[in-house]
Amino acid sequence: MEIINIKKSIECVLFISEKPVPVETFYKLFPDSKKSEIRQCLAELVVEWRELERGFMLHEVAGGYQLRTRNEYSDVILKYKQLKPYKLSRAALEVLAIIAYRHPITRVEIDRIRGVDSSGVVGILLDKELIEIKGRKEVLGRPFLYAITDKFLETFSLKSLDDLPTLKEIDGIDSTLNEQTSVRA
Amino acid sequence: MDSHTNPCLVKIEAFEGPLDLLLHLIKKNEVDIYDIPIALITEQYCDYLDMMRVLNLEVVGEYLVIASELGLIKSRMLVPQEILEDKTQEVEDPREELVRMLLEYQRFKDASTDLSNREMVGRDVFVRDWEDPSLMNGINKQVAKGDVWLLIGAMREVLQRAKLHQHSGIQFELELVTLEEKIDEITRRLQRGKRVIFKDLFSPGSTRLTIIVTFLAILELVKKTVISVVQDSPFSEIELSYNGAV
Repeated sequence: MEIINIKKSIECVLFISEKPVPVETFYKLFPDSKKSEIRQCLAELVVEWRELERGFMLHEVAGGYQLRTRNEYSDVILKYKQLKPYKLSRAALEVLAIIAYRHPITRVEIDRIRGVDSSGVVGILLDKELIEIKGRKEVLGRPFLYAITDKFLETFSLKSLDDLPTLKEIDGIDSTLNEQTSVRA
Repeated sequence: MDSHTNPCLVKIEAFEGPLDLLLHLIKKNEVDIYDIPIALITEQYCDYLDMMRVLNLEVVGEYLVIASELGLIKSRMLVPQEILEDKTQEVEDPREELVRMLLEYQRFKDASTDLSNREMVGRDVFVRDWEDPSLMNGINKQVAKGDVWLLIGAMREVLQRAKLHQHSGIQFELELVTLEEKIDEITRRLQRGKRVIFKDLFSPGSTRLTIIVTFLAILELVKKTVISVVQDSPFSEIELSYNGAV
């Protein structure tokens, strides 16, 4: 009986929460329960919501747990919310990828990789709270160092940065060429 | 490629920068990235820059930096290797650094594609009360204050519209307007009506000069806080309203 109650309590917290809830929050909420028991409840909830095939599921993202709608139903939500789908420009995605893999990194270092000035894009990403300033580099001019945020992990459905695939070693760019031509065909 | 039959179809703006353009050229010519035919690629690269100028797109400095880099590599490759071999034991391929840069950039380009293919909150999946923080001001408030960039963006549209009219072959007389006249005119117009839509201040037939003077007049009036620039929601019309004389 007790296990069920904790599970339902966890579910309630997840239901009302706007942000991914870290497992530590549940440890604090239920100090009398074993940590393993709490983790067990969360794992069960993930499976149960998936198997029920309801409109939403429980996901592990950004170091916590979060209820999310299934991607098949994005259209109805956009319509209900009267929103355009969240979109990032190619430049923004490039800068995000660079920061995600090379953080902490200065803007000049980003520019060097892209061969083009990125200050405008960095400003937009800061506004969107996908990146943040993580200090200054102790070189001439003490430029800002940028890193990605939890909001980035949440937005891109990543548990943590380790969840990112390792950067591919590229032998040549023929592979991408083939991909593109096959898509077109 | 379509580019040979109809150059207008080339989406030059889609390039994210000089490296992106170079990668595109290497792919298009189906050449080995480790053995780039520098002469061919340099020529095509410069052709693209020329085309960008023709299309009146801004060829920014970064493109020129790479262009000169290409020129340098090209000239180095022309120098007979015996001369260079004097002191250095191993002859470095002058293209090496460029290739390294291109491959590094390609890796992140691929990584950015992978990122956008992930389930994205706000596009594919949704969570409770999720909002794009950069839009929050615009959605909840009735009136969002515009900034100079918004104006400059709108200005660009107006100039482009003017360009279309001029290309239609109609000749315009050179009209001379002074900033003071424009300021007076806009002030009077705003005093009469409560709000005026930004775009309406520019009649379609205006010359570039008139448009620019009008724009400067608006900036001047904003600076003096005689008028306010407002946009009720993102992507809606930009409007000007009168605050009163100073």
